[in-house]
Amino acid sequence: MQAIGNFDELKKYREGLVSARDPKRKVVAVCTGTGCKAYKCDDLASALEAEVVKQGLSDKVEIVPTGCHGFCERGSLLVIYPDDIFYQKVSVDQAAEVVSKTLANGEILEELLYEDPVTGKKIVKESDIPFYKHQQQLLFGPGRRIRPTEIDDYLALGGYEGLAKVLSEMKPDEVVELILKSGLRGRGGGGFPTGVKWRTCRDAPGDTRYVICNADEGDPGAYMDRSLLEGNPHSVIEGMIIGAFAIGSDQGYIYVRNEYPLAVSNVHVALDQAREAGLLGENILGTGFSFDMRVSRGGGAFVCGESTALMASLEGFVGEPRAKYVHTVEHGLYDKPTNLNNVETWANVPLIVNKGVDWYTSIGTGDVSKNPWGGSKGTKIFSLVGKVKNTGLVEVPMGISLRKIIYDIGGGVPDDRAFKAVQTGGPSGGCLPESFLDQPVDFDELSRAGSMMGSGGMIVMDDRTCMVDVARYFVKFLLDESCGKCVPCREGNRRMLEILTRICSGQGVLSDLDLLERLSRSMMRGSLCALGQTAPNPVLSTLRHFRHEYEAHIVDHRCPAAVCRPLITYTINDECNGCTLCKRVCPQKAISGEKKKFHVIDQDKCDQCGVCIQSCKFDAIDVA
Amino acid sequence: MLNLDINGRRVTVRKGTALLAAIREAGFEVPTLCHHEALEPYGACRLCVVEVREEGRDKTRVVTACNYPAKAGLQVETESEAVVETRREVLDLLLARCPGSPVIRELASSMGLHRSSYPPDQNRDNCILCGLCVRVCEKLGFTAITMAGRGAEREVAAPLKEPPPDCVGCGSCARVCPTGNIPLVDRDAMRRIWDRDFEMVRCTSCGRAYITREYLESRVEASGLPASHFELCDECSRSRTAQTMYRHMVLDDKEASHE
Amino acid sequence: MSKMLMVTPGRCIGCRTCEVACAFRHAEAGVPGRSRVQVRTLAKDVWVPILCLQCDDAACVQACPVSALWRNAETGAIEVQEDRCVRCNVCVVACPFGNMTVESPKKAVIKCDVCGGDPACAQFCPTRALEYLEV
Ligand SMILES: Cc1cc2nc3c(=O)[nH]c(=O)nc-3n(C[C@H](O)[C@H](O)[C@H](O)COP(=O)(O)O)c2cc1C
Ligand code: SF4
Ligand code: SF4
Ligand code: FES
Repeated sequence: MQAIGNFDELKKYREGLVSARDPKRKVVAVCTGTGCKAYKCDDLASALEAEVVKQGLSDKVEIVPTGCHGFCERGSLLVIYPDDIFYQKVSVDQAAEVVSKTLANGEILEELLYEDPVTGKKIVKESDIPFYKHQQQLLFGPGRRIRPTEIDDYLALGGYEGLAKVLSEMKPDEVVELILKSGLRGRGGGGFPTGVKWRTCRDAPGDTRYVICNADEGDPGAYMDRSLLEGNPHSVIEGMIIGAFAIGSDQGYIYVRNEYPLAVSNVHVALDQAREAGLLGENILGTGFSFDMRVSRGGGAFVCGESTALMASLEGFVGEPRAKYVHTVEHGLYDKPTNLNNVETWANVPLIVNKGVDWYTSIGTGDVSKNPWGGSKGTKIFSLVGKVKNTGLVEVPMGISLRKIIYDIGGGVPDDRAFKAVQTGGPSGGCLPESFLDQPVDFDELSRAGSMMGSGGMIVMDDRTCMVDVARYFVKFLLDESCGKCVPCREGNRRMLEILTRICSGQGVLSDLDLLERLSRSMMRGSLCALGQTAPNPVLSTLRHFRHEYEAHIVDHRCPAAVCRPLITYTINDECNGCTLCKRVCPQKAISGEKKKFHVIDQDKCDQCGVCIQSCKFDAIDVA
Repeated sequence: MLNLDINGRRVTVRKGTALLAAIREAGFEVPTLCHHEALEPYGACRLCVVEVREEGRDKTRVVTACNYPAKAGLQVETESEAVVETRREVLDLLLARCPGSPVIRELASSMGLHRSSYPPDQNRDNCILCGLCVRVCEKLGFTAITMAGRGAEREVAAPLKEPPPDCVGCGSCARVCPTGNIPLVDRDAMRRIWDRDFEMVRCTSCGRAYITREYLESRVEASGLPASHFELCDECSRSRTAQTMYRHMVLDDKEASHE
Repeated sequence: MSKMLMVTPGRCIGCRTCEVACAFRHAEAGVPGRSRVQVRTLAKDVWVPILCLQCDDAACVQACPVSALWRNAETGAIEVQEDRCVRCNVCVVACPFGNMTVESPKKAVIKCDVCGGDPACAQFCPTRALEYLEV
């Protein structure tokens, strides 16, 4: 492609792309995101393509392998536009049928339709599926219709229009002002107002400034940044170029987690295309503004996502945090003013430029017209996992209730179990009980409740979850991921884990709870970086909302959820008909009983592995 | 120059002064373990915490004085409740890690802490991971040892956990370690440190083994002087100086008077 | 105009008062330190007190990797900034005159600092073998 030399040429080029596309032509968007790769979605896309050619439909149908659609548990999945037909769990050998029946004849394949687990009804249109219906996919939407590695697809959808607008009509200060007024807050965890950060960086003394995209995404189970970069890298790149213009930077970096090879390669392709198109590099769109960026592979540790550790890692040092008393917006990468934003934050930028502040601030909570901290605007992508019927990535407007996410989009807790808690904010987030389900989800409300937005992890837990055990799991994660540099985090997490382990094994004492609280306070106050400062959250939030569970472990030597092995007993009840199955499977040989006679468990031998309860077909084994 | 208040006392310091230096200049004490004036602040031990209120802010916060820059209008408390609690907790944690370290024990008991709230670690050495050894080694240009591992696994180690090839046996790490955790043994003109044996060079005059061969070589290289320049130990250098001086000043005088 | 410690070897009677004076002047908490001046016996009835020459282009200052040695502009003497010293002993090796001393592995190196402008050795030397004079 030839470099686009000015705004007019960009407009013409786009018009050319749009008019070359036949609006009546069917588009099959096949999800080829990482989540679906396991279901051989790439083979499905090729098979569909081959079938289309074979059945002579090439000029009527286009197969578009796209980024992640979010509903990963239903892969492989595809959507047929403009009819909006949604097929899920499509296997490679069903490709021929999809083409011959649906694409050629408009016939719906019942077996590929989604069945609503709540109503049991089959649903044809994607927009009618509850998982999608309640979402607002502003960031994800475009990525679901385009080939991530084709800049033309992005341009045809209006891509780089925001950049053109900024470069042709606005001064850098006006762009900063726009982002400030939009109320956009950082999606990487802290929720810091992006406009304030940009302004401070722009105002910092010095000639060289850097902008960085944080794509280190280390939270277990979170993959929204990955999906954005894989599925629509140009939206992030465009956001960064706009940011660079506003801040006055000519060099940027995308710091991508090492385990994201597809994201890395898609970003590389996108950068090359943008450069070739004259949208990146020297003299962008003939305006004299120059900016280029590089991709850097992450240091492979969770803590490398922390801003100062990330910058140390970019400079080639060990990814360890340093004190932030001198802010990175003033002294960051190579000691120069540096603006770091998360992938999702950057992806919001073109959207705000294109659609304006009024539109953007109409989505979300609070009033940001006077104070950028006054609310939470726009959408947020969550990674909804755990004990919910529909899992995946969901993008929802700020202010939506937890209940809506978990029940309307997620379909509620499976197997008729009771909801117990939702953990938000990643490993250093908190657990909220049922009474918080109607809480609006935004930065400030979640913090007030003792949790946080974090980067958007959301784990639903049912009544079989032990909250002490959950706290222990997260503390273990944080201990392993702590860089170990400072005493409160390294030693504090270690002791916290020790105390929680003690409680889970029935050896806790009530004063342990005070000790946990005291230790938490000192870790929050005394740790060097935010990892240690927020590490007590899982403990404090469970102590606050589920203290009775801690007490049950300590005082009654009982794990109410029957999870902590040293505290549970398995017993056989009257339903036992003497089938002998449990006796045969018990690895400890702790079960005795004659055929067709009542069986008993020898508590001294039982090591609470739970194999018996899984094997019993008559619900004759109780656990408490 | 800028003014700040430390425990209610107004002090004036140069811009760019670390808060720790300002506090000490003002005559107050703040304990430190990972700080050394010759090295960049590190902020790992968290013992130097103080509570500050920045100009124009309502809220105070707890910061580490070693790496916090002194700011105009700052109000600093070095012994507030939050500071004492945090510092005590740090020592409580260190005491559990190194129950046998006299340095840690002394610091802890100075805060009224005689036993840790946590079960003391068994079979652990007295390393508190302050990083002084690693940083001094790097500063001297050898970078023979590094921090390895994360979280609870973090440790000071030589690459591949083998005797460090870049070590010259200067012993600075051992001398700078606040808990005296690095064994250094000089015996029979050999030095053993980091599981490596170094041959020591003897003074050509008195025969005292006074420096490792590797360290001497690094000095020869750094100074551009011949090795013979370094063949005497400091004691013998002094004696040589005495002789030279005597020759020049006394004998020259005598010769002059004889003439 | 500055002052310097001048040695006149022929006058030294080997009484070592200078060493004692130095050790006491540099006492820490009542415990005398190691003397920065040392009297060497060269032959029967021949003694020379040796101390730092405060060289213009000092090898110790050049060698110190952490800039812990600096010249006191008032006295012209080179001093050790104790809290900067990392005990690498590079200066001890570097000084061609043997005038840098290790007192203890736990402490900074020591050297003559002309007692900040009032050297004890010169003050107590009974024969003026050591004098603090204008130069
Ligand atoms: C331990 C730790 C890990 C972090 N990991 C990430 C991460 O993976 N991605 C990210 O965007 N921000 C991460 N952050 C937050 C960043 O430090 C930083 O605040 C963020 O990237 C700023 O971008 P934003 O203002 O757009 O949110 C992490 C912070 C901490 C303390
Ligand atoms: S808080 Fe934890 S992760 Fe952060 S510097 Fe301290 S030890 Fe490292
Ligand atoms: S060995 Fe000593 S100097 Fe080195 S990190 Fe451990 S405590 Fe600090
Ligand atoms: S001296 Fe400041 S953190 Fe150790």
